[in-house]
Amino acid sequence: MPCRRLAVVSVLVLLLLVRAPAPLGAAPIAHREVLPNGIVLLVAERPAVPIAAVRVFMRAGASFEPPDRAGLANLTGALLTRGAAGRSGPEIDAAIEFVGGSLEAGAGRDGLGASLSVLKRDLGLGLDLLGAVVRSPTFPEAELKRRTAQIQAAIKRSEEDPGTVAARALARLVFAGHPYGSPVEGTIESVGALTRDDVVAFYREHVRPDTTIVAVVGDVTVDEARREVLARFGDWPRPASPPPARPAQAGPTPPRAASVVKDLTQSTIVLGRPAIRQVDPDYFPLVVAAYVLGGGSASRLYARVRDEGGLAYAVYAYVAPAHYGASLVLSAQTRTGEVPKVVDLLRDALARMAREPIGEDELRLAKDYLVGSFPLRLDTTSKVADFVVAIEEQGLGLDYADRYKAAIARVSVADVHRVAKRFFGPDGFSRVVVGATK
Amino acid sequence: MRRGSIAVLVAVLLAAGGPARGAESERSTGAVVAATLDNGLRVLLLEDRRSPIVTVQTWYRVGSRNEVRGATGLAHFLEHLMFRGTPRYGSGLFARLVERNGGRYNAFTSRDVTSYYVNLAADRLDLVLELEADRMQNLLLDPAIITSERQVVIEERRTRTEDDPGGALGEEVSATAFRAHPYGQPIIGWPTDLARITPEEIRAFYRTYYVPNNAMLVLVGDFEAPETLDKVRAAFEAIPRGAEPPPVLAVEPAQSSERRVTVRRSAELPIVYLGYPVPNQTSPDAAALEVLSVVLSGGRASRLYRDLVYERQLALEAGGDYAYFSLDPNLFWFWATPLPGQTPETLEKELQGHIERLGREPVSEVELTRAKNQIEASFVFQEDSIHRRASLLARFELIGGHALKDQYLAAIRAVSAADLQRVASAYFHDDKKNVGILLPKP
Repeated sequence: MPCRRLAVVSVLVLLLLVRAPAPLGAAPIAHREVLPNGIVLLVAERPAVPIAAVRVFMRAGASFEPPDRAGLANLTGALLTRGAAGRSGPEIDAAIEFVGGSLEAGAGRDGLGASLSVLKRDLGLGLDLLGAVVRSPTFPEAELKRRTAQIQAAIKRSEEDPGTVAARALARLVFAGHPYGSPVEGTIESVGALTRDDVVAFYREHVRPDTTIVAVVGDVTVDEARREVLARFGDWPRPASPPPARPAQAGPTPPRAASVVKDLTQSTIVLGRPAIRQVDPDYFPLVVAAYVLGGGSASRLYARVRDEGGLAYAVYAYVAPAHYGASLVLSAQTRTGEVPKVVDLLRDALARMAREPIGEDELRLAKDYLVGSFPLRLDTTSKVADFVVAIEEQGLGLDYADRYKAAIARVSVADVHRVAKRFFGPDGFSRVVVGATK
Repeated sequence: MRRGSIAVLVAVLLAAGGPARGAESERSTGAVVAATLDNGLRVLLLEDRRSPIVTVQTWYRVGSRNEVRGATGLAHFLEHLMFRGTPRYGSGLFARLVERNGGRYNAFTSRDVTSYYVNLAADRLDLVLELEADRMQNLLLDPAIITSERQVVIEERRTRTEDDPGGALGEEVSATAFRAHPYGQPIIGWPTDLARITPEEIRAFYRTYYVPNNAMLVLVGDFEAPETLDKVRAAFEAIPRGAEPPPVLAVEPAQSSERRVTVRRSAELPIVYLGYPVPNQTSPDAAALEVLSVVLSGGRASRLYRDLVYERQLALEAGGDYAYFSLDPNLFWFWATPLPGQTPETLEKELQGHIERLGREPVSEVELTRAKNQIEASFVFQEDSIHRRASLLARFELIGGHALKDQYLAAIRAVSAADLQRVASAYFHDDKKNVGILLPKP
């Protein structure tokens, strides 16, 4: 990996502020270049283990589907590997699995993703298959029918999981009027109405080289990666038309409450509200605030609700940033009779942080953890591959890891108090309870 | 992927590491430094300098198999309490100290073991050794904390079993399949036992099983092994050896009946589980059973997915699994979730059909080779993570020695189609079958 040095000033700043053991002035996390047809190529060399992870991100997620075609991106993503460039779905499965690799494709809110995991010696085969499913999917009608039935069954079954039910209901409230308010997989009804023409149109409109990221991580050099990727993707023509418009950023929504009645011994409580993403300077204080509130076993919620109260096994809070919106979420699961008590505890904890500054000790612990544990986010080939795609896709810059750590290290008690006043007022949260009582 | 309690609670096989044929993977594999301290603590150290991090794993040879009737759930309850304080580091301080040092930690209890890990920067290793040595011998077990944590465990049981159809079904099938052996008991414990267990019983369990001669420390990461071994000695050697914990004596008698259990729960889709008693890694059939599970369930080209999910669209998911590392003989599991419009009876019949076919016809050369390639490749993939490398060393050490990894791979390579046919015929009989059906309540 090329070894560049950070400017001396920023190294000193990091030394003063950061007590993390991670190497300072470390090499950039990946090599980045833009291919002639607009594909962003990211390469991170990790030669120690003879494996490779390749991720392709296409700007074509659920947020881009027409509102009356909920689940279209998900279905399109699921179908990519179900037939491409002269091979059937089963042939693709057999080819990649024969060498002990995997090739998966699907969709999230913001993009379609294809993910290859393969031994180094099979990289050629893996990239051939990856190139085929990304560039030349055939979307056979029979496969579409199969997949539709499976997706519908999976949606049906997911209704058994109170966490999933709660998250869906909360998203509908927090992101009302925005694509993030709809489930990525769609509904049983909406998926049933999707046609092959819909899938083909969505693919043709949204999947193109100039809105695609390819990340290659593992036992591959930059030159090798470039050569191999160009061989499969180099002649993918860039369309003359500009790419489709992106979704708007999610805006504020009024807090509302909902309950979903289910025959369960335990109730799932989620509180949520719109928040901010990484481009907002208050994001980093908010991350620290959320960590102090409910980020780990040393957090306030864990202490009050679980350790002291014995009221929950799972209780936590977190910030969830995404490209077109962000949310702040608290969650707890408790026996049904204790729901009112736990809701009060969650609200009290929020209100207290909005009212009073946190202590220096709590601040330091949160920052030490968030900065110090960062290397553990990047200690495998898969994690690095997913990370570099995420920072590229969200436009955060290849130096995001270092900027994140520096920004967290700078957060003060006053910063946390400011964002808590801005975001932690309990009445600003929508609430969903899934359980036995209304 | 298996649902509910099986995936959570049964010791999962992570396919073992070993050099891929012809590949120079020695770059990231070095020699394991192994030692046994005078007090019986087993120590495995493996240098891995790729990142300045280390995984410190403490494995105790105690799980739900060591529990007696009336006191199930002890091992798992104790696992919770290991984070709730010693005289030197009060409740919650373990977590605080590890987090302050940028570490991530967790633990799990299985039928066979209780395992704790801390992953953090390599230069913070000393802290973890101190904390683990301290809680191995000095756990407070404050009755007030026990009272509170009992409720947390009961909430956990609600999440994993009472409110999880797959978890509930798995619990019932295990209890049905094992009449004499403690594998029939749920790891989280029966709710009546959880409500009753006393602090004295927890303390006795802790004193019996949390002794250095019943424990193993595995470290993988950026350190010098000889220097680190010295540190481990310094931290642990003063802990006195305990009495040898009592062995598990129960042997499950051979099953000679077809057993069925039906569970009705609030659920959206039915579930079918089949469990057949099979031997563990001590048997010459173990490698074949391992390969069989991958032929059946290893990906979209595998038997059960290809036929039941893809070709005939009967199931949302279907699979099979074998627990190679189980300390005592366990079950070979099959499972299927019917697609809406299909019945559990149909899926049971279809799984049965596959089982019979395996006993009648040898699998194809392609299927056999693919399964072996998948297992071998997963060995290589797991080398990428220091955490997985350490866990794998521990798993092999528990069944007789970390170096057994290489024998495992050789045995896998040697499996023939005839072997698969033989084990399918030998072990998957109707009168050795345990069937669980989950029916959604209307």
